[in-house]
Amino acid sequence: MAYCVALFWMTVLSRRALDVDLTHLRTNHADMNDVLQPHTRIALHNVTFTYAGATEPALRDVTLAVPAGQICAIIGRAGAGKSTLCALCAGFVPHFFRGRLTGSAIVDDMPVATHPIAELVRHVALVGSNAFSQISGARFTVYDEVAFGLENLGVPRPAMIERVEWALRALGIDHLRDRSPYALSGGQQQRMVIAAALAMNPPVLALDEPTSQLDPPAMIELADVLRSLSRQGMTILVAEHRLEWVADVAERVVALDHGAVLADGAPASVLTDPRLCEHGIGWPRPAQMAAQARAEGRWAPERPLPITVADLAAGLRAAAADQESMNGQSNTPHGLTVRPVAEMDEALSMTPVAEPVVTLDEVHFTYPTGVEALRGVSLTVRRGERIALVGRNGAGKSTLVRHLNGLLRPSRGRVLVDGVDTRTTTVARCARSVGVVFQDVRNQLFARTVRDEIRFGPRNLGFAPERVDALTEAAIDALDLHDVVSEHPYDLPPARRRLVAIAAVLAMDTALLVLDEPTAGLDNASIALLKRLIEQLTERQRSVLVVSHDLDFCYEALDRVVLMRDGRIAFDGRFAEVDQVQTAALDGDVGLPIALRLRYVCP
Amino acid sequence: MQRTGLFIERAGFLQRLNPLTKVTGVLLLIGATFLLPAPLTGAALTVGALLPLAFASLVAHRFLDVLVKTLLPVLISLALVQGLFFPTSDPTTVAVGPLLFRRAGLQFALDTGSRLLVVAGAPLLLFQTTHPGALVQALIQSGMPRSIGYIVLVALQLIPAISERAVGVAEAQRARGLETEGSVLQRIRGVLPLISPLIVGALVEAEERAMAIEARAFNAPGPKTWVRDIPDPPVERTARIGMLAALGALIVWRIASLFSG
Repeated sequence: MAYCVALFWMTVLSRRALDVDLTHLRTNHADMNDVLQPHTRIALHNVTFTYAGATEPALRDVTLAVPAGQICAIIGRAGAGKSTLCALCAGFVPHFFRGRLTGSAIVDDMPVATHPIAELVRHVALVGSNAFSQISGARFTVYDEVAFGLENLGVPRPAMIERVEWALRALGIDHLRDRSPYALSGGQQQRMVIAAALAMNPPVLALDEPTSQLDPPAMIELADVLRSLSRQGMTILVAEHRLEWVADVAERVVALDHGAVLADGAPASVLTDPRLCEHGIGWPRPAQMAAQARAEGRWAPERPLPITVADLAAGLRAAAADQESMNGQSNTPHGLTVRPVAEMDEALSMTPVAEPVVTLDEVHFTYPTGVEALRGVSLTVRRGERIALVGRNGAGKSTLVRHLNGLLRPSRGRVLVDGVDTRTTTVARCARSVGVVFQDVRNQLFARTVRDEIRFGPRNLGFAPERVDALTEAAIDALDLHDVVSEHPYDLPPARRRLVAIAAVLAMDTALLVLDEPTAGLDNASIALLKRLIEQLTERQRSVLVVSHDLDFCYEALDRVVLMRDGRIAFDGRFAEVDQVQTAALDGDVGLPIALRLRYVCP
Repeated sequence: MQRTGLFIERAGFLQRLNPLTKVTGVLLLIGATFLLPAPLTGAALTVGALLPLAFASLVAHRFLDVLVKTLLPVLISLALVQGLFFPTSDPTTVAVGPLLFRRAGLQFALDTGSRLLVVAGAPLLLFQTTHPGALVQALIQSGMPRSIGYIVLVALQLIPAISERAVGVAEAQRARGLETEGSVLQRIRGVLPLISPLIVGALVEAEERAMAIEARAFNAPGPKTWVRDIPDPPVERTARIGMLAALGALIVWRIASLFSG
């Protein structure tokens, strides 16, 4: 109850605790004529915002005009200012987050700084990146949760019901209407909070990392919904890391770097702008792959770099046709070797002879509720293997991961960790061989500094102080955390917090490292860091098992893929060897990485 | 998993009533059990009102289950303590095996126990037949501040959510080699890594949730509407007035009888 009272007062006090340079805002209002165009819904002019207590601005001299009906994507590295920009457009900067704001921000003809959030909510809806904490807590079913905002706006019941029904259908959660919001998976919660915002039918919608917990089919559905809303005139601002999804959905892309606009324009030009690579943002995969082909002389220099898979496939087909007409033959259907096969073969030849780290032998597991989550799973993880564990929500992945370190023990069958049956040992002992980084890193972080956080694991395992120091420094190195070692983990942006959580388990130097959705919310630079880390671990004969919806990451960083379905292993093979049947199975359950899509779906 | 407290979803008699009618009924029953002579009133109200209503509302089994499990230990200890140690000048005793109970003490335990049945049973039946969301909505519609209603609802839902998070925290730290079993010293060492993420996480989430409800127009000016309709037919409004009038009459009668006696 004390927590609830604190929450209530936080809402009240935050609206009073302002420290905003409103005078400057008003004087700059006249300058807005330069920015405002007919039907401009978001008009920012020379906006600079510095959070209270921060030394550097989060936004620097940002000028941006977004017309009605446009889907404008904001991209950039973690901490580039994307979330701040979304919060500004919804009025949470400066009305909720304290700081100094200069410049002018007008959203749907409402000057943001001079209108309270309570008024702005009729003009703009904001959906934050953490779905769990976006749940109001005041309603008991998904249906009522989606209706909550409309009730607060005083929408008459018949119109409210119509809008709630539409939003539930649009986000594909109609069948979940009577479930508790807290009983949903992360992806379902994310769709619910987006539905709740859409139901309010705002002229402007700001989405912060909307795909961070969505699986590929849900991402495609969300893109369809946003395009449909945009056609109806809704202006959509979307801050997003997944550049392939941005390329698919956005009509305009704004790249931010250290709070300033780095590039602004059509997706095809911004997403292939070399400055994105220079500033660590990177390109979408189709552009990267075509650039690689261009460097190898297999993509014509005059042909623009593609940003979508369809354009990449078309370009590759054209290149293959050209090559065929010149040489009379083509090596690959699409003229592009997307991943060196030799590299895969090398990994393939290394692993089968290695000793097992974890062995699951006909494992069954039934929860006390009666749900049978595992139905005869047999799996061996050997030293040096890189495994992707994929499957739909509810397929049994999380239950399986909890068996790898003894958090759960089989109802039937057995699990051996380094040869020891998990039923005869403790979780802490299993942790010497298997390190697990769970998806919700907030459950893990507690220490006062990043360095202390990383030291916690190896100290628990009873390592000598010198070894603890060495492992801590190595983990800091591997995850590039030197600049934040003395900071509190909670003071870091979510993406770096995840890297701290990974470093903290990495420092335990286990034979197997299990990563649950490690790329969620990470920018391209951090994902590249992870790939390097996995390579280094493989070189040291450490195994890695990744649970992820990010199939492209899995394909690029791992060798073996295990698809789970209904508590069983549907197939267990290597990315280099998957055939058409297995590809179809993957496609049906979790989607395909671009490389496999090129090989089998649009060759 | 539905987080709806004691509520049991059934299509029974009480479930169809407006929550305010049920709240008024609870007030009348509790008032009557204290204003009318015990133990007869308590027993009569339990057998004559609560049990038939529980059967008519299709929750009798769970109602009795919770009531017995909750009250039986209290009633037994009440009979033992008051029967054996009740301060009285009445020397009359009742022998039960080797124990000699004071009659006045047993009488007091019987009176109190019969009242407890109604004091615990009536609200239990209210919560078993009323969805907390509907109860809070009805109270807000009848004038309770929305902020109070929000706090009540958030408490109802977040406490189980925080319990689940506690499980997640324990799993994450055990996976990092933290021994949560074993000696007292080991358990004490394990407290900080278990409590800290829970508290810090709750505080961070409090800020994000405050932001989320702002984004959902919680503080937007103007009249509010509700997606769920809670029927309040004239007959129930009349019944509420009748019950309040009966309660008032009982209070007046009781005060009058105190002065006349």
